[in-house]
Amino acid sequence: MKTRKCKKFKKSYSLIAAEETLGQQRYIRRRKMHKIYIFWSRIFIFAAFLILWQAASDLGWIDKFYFSSPTEIGALFLHDIQDRSLLSHIGITLFESGVSFLLILLFAMVIATFFWFYPSLGKMFEPFLIVLNSLPKSALAPLIIVWLGTGMRTIILCGMSVGIFGCILNLYQAFSQTDPERLKLIETLGGTKMQAFTKVVFPGNIPTFLSLSKVNIGLSLVGVIIGEFLAGRRGLGYLIIYGSQVFKLDMVILSITILCVIAMLIYGIINFLEKHYRA
Amino acid sequence: MHNSFLRLEHVSFSYYSMLGEFMALSDINFNVEKGMFVALVGPSGCGKSTILSLICGLLKPVGGSITFYSEDFHAPRVGYMLQHDHLLEWRDVYHNIMLGLEISKNKTPENLAFVDELLEKYKLSDTKNKKPSALSGGMRQRIALIRTLAIRPDLLLLDEPFSALDYQTRLRVSGDVRDIIKSEEKTSILVTHDISEAVSMADVVIVLTKSPCSVKDIIPMEFEKNGIQRSEIRKSKLFQEYFDRIWRQIQDENTEM
Repeated sequence: MKTRKCKKFKKSYSLIAAEETLGQQRYIRRRKMHKIYIFWSRIFIFAAFLILWQAASDLGWIDKFYFSSPTEIGALFLHDIQDRSLLSHIGITLFESGVSFLLILLFAMVIATFFWFYPSLGKMFEPFLIVLNSLPKSALAPLIIVWLGTGMRTIILCGMSVGIFGCILNLYQAFSQTDPERLKLIETLGGTKMQAFTKVVFPGNIPTFLSLSKVNIGLSLVGVIIGEFLAGRRGLGYLIIYGSQVFKLDMVILSITILCVIAMLIYGIINFLEKHYRA
Repeated sequence: MHNSFLRLEHVSFSYYSMLGEFMALSDINFNVEKGMFVALVGPSGCGKSTILSLICGLLKPVGGSITFYSEDFHAPRVGYMLQHDHLLEWRDVYHNIMLGLEISKNKTPENLAFVDELLEKYKLSDTKNKKPSALSGGMRQRIALIRTLAIRPDLLLLDEPFSALDYQTRLRVSGDVRDIIKSEEKTSILVTHDISEAVSMADVVIVLTKSPCSVKDIIPMEFEKNGIQRSEIRKSKLFQEYFDRIWRQIQDENTEM
């Protein structure tokens, strides 16, 4: 008799194998081997890419001036980390994205809630939101610069502009698609519209809220980078534009690499939160 | 009608749409006595649920009157049980049951004790901390009934509460629900399209006609009077007689259309 705790269903189940048969053991071993195989293959692909890149620039297959090389980028990274300039650029970009992300969620939440309480208001504004949402948002950036100048406010607004309209629309749609029978349940229990919102509509849409967060944290990063391209004096977007203008391409590639890492980390964090919520 | 609890007199109701007026109910009259279990049966889409919505106050009748008679003049509390259990999946069983009390802000110690008592009495205490998703359909519907009873309703409205269950579970749960309702001495109105469910559960079956809906027949179920045990009802000859009678009446309705 052997009990195997299944990691995936940590809380609710434990798989109980009355007798772990030979076949089952082999199956489990094979699954594990497969996972390890995939993991190391990923590492290998990444390493091979770096080695090939390094070799290509060392052996002169590609122009080092345009394509740089992993060691040069690594050296630049170490140098810029030591004089702390890089950290402040990263910090600025993260801060701006964070603020615009939170503002998107806040505004979307308030406005969608309003629309749910006053559906005719929602219907009135829906076409305008749809138009604004389908607009390529980078087109708004120059306008925002003229209005607000070049500074952090402009960049945060750029960050917000990409995701906010879609976020409002999606949240409002999710709210208004709440099962009418559930609203009837609250009504039969003598509940008010406010209670219907706090007991059913909002808690029922937390998964929607999480998946919207997932999308919008990425979008606010996109918006902030656009903003920094056009109006930034600091931040990774500024480094990319500046680096390309003065042909310091190692700086450009380094910044892009850091953006990759940031995106990966954010994705990991949100996935973790989502899992935590579901469990 | 000395013991009358609820009376519907000449109740009519219409729905409006762009296509015109649709008269759902016309001249509905019936009485419900205190402690009685009434079943409404009729062809599907005849307006059975509309009657419940009217009694509950979700809709207002276009004509006629709905009167409650209470001894102590308090407004009657109505508990409504819907077709699906609508347990909220992010709350555990206990907090689902608490929903009604939370909404009416009535989480008094007596009411909390009452809920515990209900759970204890109907052997549901060990589900208290479970999430609804961990329960079977029949169990969920029982919990939904406890949620409805927790607000101590004077009148229970059951809108096809078993139609989402499979046949086996349905027989079992409908029996259990009847027992619970009877032991809590609740006045109840059940809406169903299942004739055998109505005959086996109710004290009185009201047969309704199709659009516009009105009362066709009111049949008291006299099993006890004829010395038939509750558990034997479905096997008895009388059951078959009632079933056939109601079946024919509903068939007439369908062919008249």
